[in-house]
Amino acid sequence: MALNLQDMIVRLQSYWAERDCVLMQPYHTEVGAGTLNPATFLRCLGPRPWRTAYVEPSIRPTDGRYGENPFRFQQFWQYQVIVKPAPADVLDEYFGSLTAIGIDLARHDVRLVEDDWEAPTLGAWGLGWEVWLDGMEITQWTYFQQLGGLDVELVPAEITYGLERLALFLQDKRSAFELEWAPGVTYGDVYRENERQWSAYNFEHAPVDVLVRRFDEHEAEGRRLVELGLPLPAYDQALKCSHLFNLLDARGAVSVTERASYIARVRDLARAVARAYVETQREHDALAPA
Amino acid sequence: MPSLLLEIGCEELPAAACREAERQLPALAREHLGAEPAELYVGPRRLGFLVRELPERTPDEWIKGPPQALRERAADGFARRHGVSAEQLTVRDGFLGFERPGRALREVLPDRLAAVVRGVEFAKSMRWDESGLRFARPVRWLCALLDAEPVPVALETIPAGRTSFGHRFASGRVEVAAAEAYVGTLREALVEPIVEERRARIVAALDAIGGWSDPGGALEEVVHLAENPAVLVGEFDETLLRLPERVVVTAMQSHQRYFPLGGNRFAFVANGGDPDVVRAGNENVLENRLEDADFTFERDLAVGIDALAERLGAITFLAGAGSFADKTERLVRLVDELGGDETAREAARLAKADQAAELVREFPELEGHIGAQYARAAGYAEPICAAIDEHYLPDSADAPLPATPAGRLVAVADRIDLLNVAFRLGRRPTGSRDPFGLRRAAIGVCRLATEGGVVVPRSLLVPDARDFVEERFEALLRVPVEFVRAARAAPAADAGAVARHAEALADAAGSDVFAAAYEVHDRAHRIAGRREAEAAAELDPALLRDDAERALAERVGSLSLRPDGDVRASLAEAATLAPLVERFFDEVLVLADDPALRANRLRLLLELRDKLRALGDLSQIPV
Repeated sequence: MALNLQDMIVRLQSYWAERDCVLMQPYHTEVGAGTLNPATFLRCLGPRPWRTAYVEPSIRPTDGRYGENPFRFQQFWQYQVIVKPAPADVLDEYFGSLTAIGIDLARHDVRLVEDDWEAPTLGAWGLGWEVWLDGMEITQWTYFQQLGGLDVELVPAEITYGLERLALFLQDKRSAFELEWAPGVTYGDVYRENERQWSAYNFEHAPVDVLVRRFDEHEAEGRRLVELGLPLPAYDQALKCSHLFNLLDARGAVSVTERASYIARVRDLARAVARAYVETQREHDALAPA
Repeated sequence: MPSLLLEIGCEELPAAACREAERQLPALAREHLGAEPAELYVGPRRLGFLVRELPERTPDEWIKGPPQALRERAADGFARRHGVSAEQLTVRDGFLGFERPGRALREVLPDRLAAVVRGVEFAKSMRWDESGLRFARPVRWLCALLDAEPVPVALETIPAGRTSFGHRFASGRVEVAAAEAYVGTLREALVEPIVEERRARIVAALDAIGGWSDPGGALEEVVHLAENPAVLVGEFDETLLRLPERVVVTAMQSHQRYFPLGGNRFAFVANGGDPDVVRAGNENVLENRLEDADFTFERDLAVGIDALAERLGAITFLAGAGSFADKTERLVRLVDELGGDETAREAARLAKADQAAELVREFPELEGHIGAQYARAAGYAEPICAAIDEHYLPDSADAPLPATPAGRLVAVADRIDLLNVAFRLGRRPTGSRDPFGLRRAAIGVCRLATEGGVVVPRSLLVPDARDFVEERFEALLRVPVEFVRAARAAPAADAGAVARHAEALADAAGSDVFAAAYEVHDRAHRIAGRREAEAAAELDPALLRDDAERALAERVGSLSLRPDGDVRASLAEAATLAPLVERFFDEVLVLADDPALRANRLRLLLELRDKLRALGDLSQIPV
């Protein structure tokens, strides 16, 4: 009997907890990917080792389809693992996690296909792969090289599992809405209505003028907090800007040239936050007893 | 002589990185080991080579010192620095120096092998540990053997020895007994390390299946995606064939690296696993992708191309240049001005409608093609659909042009609009930055005007855009650039005429008439061109004193070079002025003391020069 979705999450949680990962929880602000959770973006900066694993809802307004398309959602689920620094056998640790959720690696065709990751709104990039399981992309894997425009000091491996994809594979289902989330409860029971309403908001009702104004306000507040030496709350402002930009994009309110300018504004704020974060961490470390 | 094996064990390398390494490894072996590799190993998890007949010693090396003339002052210091005595220095080509004998290669191998690893350069590389070594993906082991003996490699964070690794899931750690045993050991461990063997195996299997195609070139990537390639055949639900064929092929090739077999069948290359399980999984994936595309396709069809076209007002083309609806209006107008018929007008009206289609967001490389499908579904005549389909052509320097007249007109209009808009907004390409693809657009206009035979009035382009387009002829035409520059000053009405003019000038360049016409222009331009300010506003016949100037003035007055005429005939006509000009300069003092005479004579020469401008600006052409 294949694992239901929540059991799959539980297995992944135990697997990575046993390997010294701090189990974090989803962040409280909308993020387009688990990478933006400060447990990844900020903790991957600086010289301190860090291992974490957590579930993250990924919010991408343009991907919504009103719950009508069984493969596209404006909210989907990622399982995010950060291993910093990445040890030499980090890939084997990852493959072990697939075995832990019941995938027999000898019976399947597992492939690492080049996928270089770049997030212009974060001034971030890395090299890595899509992991293919019999042709299906189940994981994005990245060795970060730069975040917020800063070179990483210890190279982390970021492992991002696509939970719906993995579950479709394990449960041999053709629609995410048919996945078993918990015994007797489907993914559709839990999230289909959510998709319908949020798609309507994202595409039709989100107020463009208000979003534009909020973007300006959050950007200004982020700048102010950076000046005050408070990079953590400043970072939330950058996340809010990033999400507002995505919403404006879904509303079709961003032209090609404006797109570049919005991206540059979020990136500049994220860079300023990253610098301030590294700075305050350094000061903190200097004060701490050896 | 011994054999040397070097294997650089990596996490899965991209195909492009494999190709880069494949090109560089032989040169690195020559540079650092003084030997040509007998075999190259290139694949996703290992790069390396086998050298047979490794030289025992590195080559002797001539160490060059100061010039012989400075022996007294500099010889001692140079010798001391290199640990030899000054008496040992000899002279070669006027310089002091000495021959440093080669060393036993075995002693230097750890450094030399490290230099090979460090020497591979990738367009994209990364760090992964504190050593700071850069490679396309992490290097995890090194297998280096001199015959049966492991060789250390001077890269401290990476283990080196006789250990290698076989297939990632179907095998594991292996010990390689000797350099020459490497390939056999790996094959037993389910890895084919030689890329030609993998390619041959895949192609043979595809040929045995038959009917395969690879329009997107997936093969060259797939050979580096599997160390133990097995070709399998899958099928998908036939009802999905209602999707446009190119959507199906793009989903197979660029998303999944499959090979279309026609109909609902496809071949793919696996790297292991139970064939039935792997096949079923891949069939599922492709069906899911196609169902997703089909879902989108049906939604678009339900909207229909006319309604999609009406949505263009909400999609921005370029900030400052309105929406795609505005762009569409401009396209229709341009097609009119280009002399398009009703077919071309309709194609222009619908050309951008698919920018509002969801399917184009999923398959941006199929814009135009998808719109054509929707136009067909709505019952538009085939020539209109074909023009929508192909108006993005040519999309590269050597891509074909649209095959239909309407397609060519819409293609020209689309590019003229982009260029005009971009240049009006001051978005000229700088250096390598050309985010709107203006160079490609300009080259497209040139090719459509020449090869494509479209009459493109120069007046349709704003001045900066026109210059930018016509500058492309300098590289596109097979004539020296000066002839293009000369022709651009000719009053030709359309871009194709400029090109023909440049070619005709270049063609005539060696002839007597060209030389004579050139001389006429050159003499007039040289003396009067710099004195335009001093010239009279108009020629005054009453001030023509000498016979020679009256004769010249009369001929200039009657000269009529047709700007769109036959260049050679115009050159011949201009050449007939040569004796008159010759006589004029012999008998008449242009820069006369009398300012009125001088001004009048300058005007005469300027009129002559300007009439010759029908031939272009001949002063651009060096003698």
